[in-house]
Amino acid sequence: MTLFEAIILTIITASTPLLIAAIGELVVERAGVLNLGVEGMMVIGAAAGIAAAITTGSSSFGVLVAVLAGMALSLVFAALVLGLAANQVAAGLALAILGLGLSGVIGAPFVGVQRAGIGKIEIPWLSEIPFLGPLLFRQDPFVYASIALVVAVWWFLTKSRAGLVLRAVGENHAAAHALGYPVRRIRLLAILFGGGCAGLAGAYMSLVYTPFWTSGMTAGRGWIALAIVVFASWLPFRAMLGAYLFGALTILQLHAQSAGVPLPSQFLAALPYLITILVLVLIMRARRGGAAGPASLGVPFVPDR
Amino acid sequence: MNITRRHLMAGSAGLAGAALAGQHAEAQSRLNVGVVLIGPVGDFGWSHMHDQGRRRMAEVLGDRVNATTVESVAPPDFDRVVTQLVRTGHRLIFTTSFSYFAPTQRLAPQHPGVFFENATGPTTLPNMAIYNARFYEGRYIQGVIAARKSRSKTIGYVATFPVPEVISAINTVMRGAWSVDPSMKIRVVWVNAWSNPAREADAARALIDQGCDVLCSHTDGPAPLQLAEQRGVFGFGQASDMTRFAPRAHLTSSVNNWGDYYAERAKAVLDGTWRPTDTWGGLGSGMFRMAPFTNMTPEEISEATRIRDAIAAGTLHPFEGPITRQDGTVVIPAGRRLSDDEIRAQNYFYQGIDVAMP
Repeated sequence: MTLFEAIILTIITASTPLLIAAIGELVVERAGVLNLGVEGMMVIGAAAGIAAAITTGSSSFGVLVAVLAGMALSLVFAALVLGLAANQVAAGLALAILGLGLSGVIGAPFVGVQRAGIGKIEIPWLSEIPFLGPLLFRQDPFVYASIALVVAVWWFLTKSRAGLVLRAVGENHAAAHALGYPVRRIRLLAILFGGGCAGLAGAYMSLVYTPFWTSGMTAGRGWIALAIVVFASWLPFRAMLGAYLFGALTILQLHAQSAGVPLPSQFLAALPYLITILVLVLIMRARRGGAAGPASLGVPFVPDR
Repeated sequence: MNITRRHLMAGSAGLAGAALAGQHAEAQSRLNVGVVLIGPVGDFGWSHMHDQGRRRMAEVLGDRVNATTVESVAPPDFDRVVTQLVRTGHRLIFTTSFSYFAPTQRLAPQHPGVFFENATGPTTLPNMAIYNARFYEGRYIQGVIAARKSRSKTIGYVATFPVPEVISAINTVMRGAWSVDPSMKIRVVWVNAWSNPAREADAARALIDQGCDVLCSHTDGPAPLQLAEQRGVFGFGQASDMTRFAPRAHLTSSVNNWGDYYAERAKAVLDGTWRPTDTWGGLGSGMFRMAPFTNMTPEEISEATRIRDAIAAGTLHPFEGPITRQDGTVVIPAGRRLSDDEIRAQNYFYQGIDVAMP
């Protein structure tokens, strides 16, 4: 395997959790809800996932529990912002902090427990193709799942009627409500999907990436996922581009250091966020004011009776 | 006894009065010791080993001491936690992080009747001692072993922050490696965190992809070692014995041992002989030890053992001159060795280390 291939492989693994979490949050935000608690749901997925996997000895059960744990936490958020029409920013931040704390409690008995990670799937014949084989056909199941998720979300949002309704709810919830669409139910489903994706991304961290538990092991990746959604200007394939770009920057920065390339690592580490700000500025300029994202994003909805 | 900060706070109001009243009667026979930890007891690294030290102290001194651990204390909460410990009658308090050095130094004069001990701080006060371990001794041994095990003649180092502690560790690894093979090289990646497992693993991947086949790490967790196992290269553990994380890759670990020191200090308070000392113990005093050598040939083990014993006995010193900086200026000539203060202030790489200071 050449160094180039190795770098690409590492970038794909580093980008996958970002992509999974971002695609979930993208759907939530397209429905008009801003859930800043991605980091919290992700870390609780990581904790619950490895706890379940160690207890039962089954990695796939661990993944399932991680998804459910992310959903359960997002349900708390949904109760606050949909049930009580609470401020979404405050509720999301609270969720992130709650998740970090709660995950420590769940993970405490599993600290220092060693277990093998989920391996890679080799597709026979195809994985033998030079260069492309190992990159495309010798990955862990999460990588395939993340790409499938992106395609499915793209299809759902742009080609299906349900996706159109979801977008309508995100653009103008009052109008969607007046047309008789169940705004809060649609948003609840979107929030649950986002929670499930964040939990899945967390499972990737604790079951594949570094298969053990330490508190706060997601180390800010949930926040990067939020930045990716903005970077992508709320479009699924751009989110994929963003996730791979952000992943590539973090990995190339490490390689540059190791190879002795005189580039300040702090600058490279800050670059994803600078790019996000730049993209936001460009969107705002292109649209000449107005909302950069879904028009109802972050606005509490109270149905009039 | 192991209580969390929250419990301590909740019970504090009622406890304060009761403890003060009961303290005088008990003070002669029983010493209350507080241990403040920066991370969770279960971090399987730094804080875990301090808690092991607390256990060891309780074992040695039995019911003459009564120890309270407060874990995961962020620096902003430090004052509150320590004040509470003082109010509840703790007369010896170990603050086990460099991040606690400045606040401990500030609080100690306010509580003259309490003895403070800070891990890895640089200066003492009349009622504040400092203590640390000479971890660089373990790094020298790692360098020797790495030079024996490496085929590519390149060591990978997952570093945290460019502070003297880490810089001197990198220098010492190379000093050890060059003692075996002067052509040894090192590659360094700074992850800018003490604990970020995924980034540590990425750094390890990058190092291995660029041809490093023995990994040293300065971070708290086992992630780089685990990756070494996955990729079929070698690595070292840190803070605790990490053999089980990498049964085929693990060579040895530096295992911290604070317990005997804690017991000795608590006994000094009980006997009234406590002094604000500056302790920097190494392999010789048992402040840390090397985990059993694994995945090495009998010859390699006997060489590593010989070097370990020579360092412990003081016949081999990792900071012997001549020492030359990267730019060629001589720090000390042959025949001298760095003083403790010079080691603690090391902010340069040796000549021959082909790594830019970030």
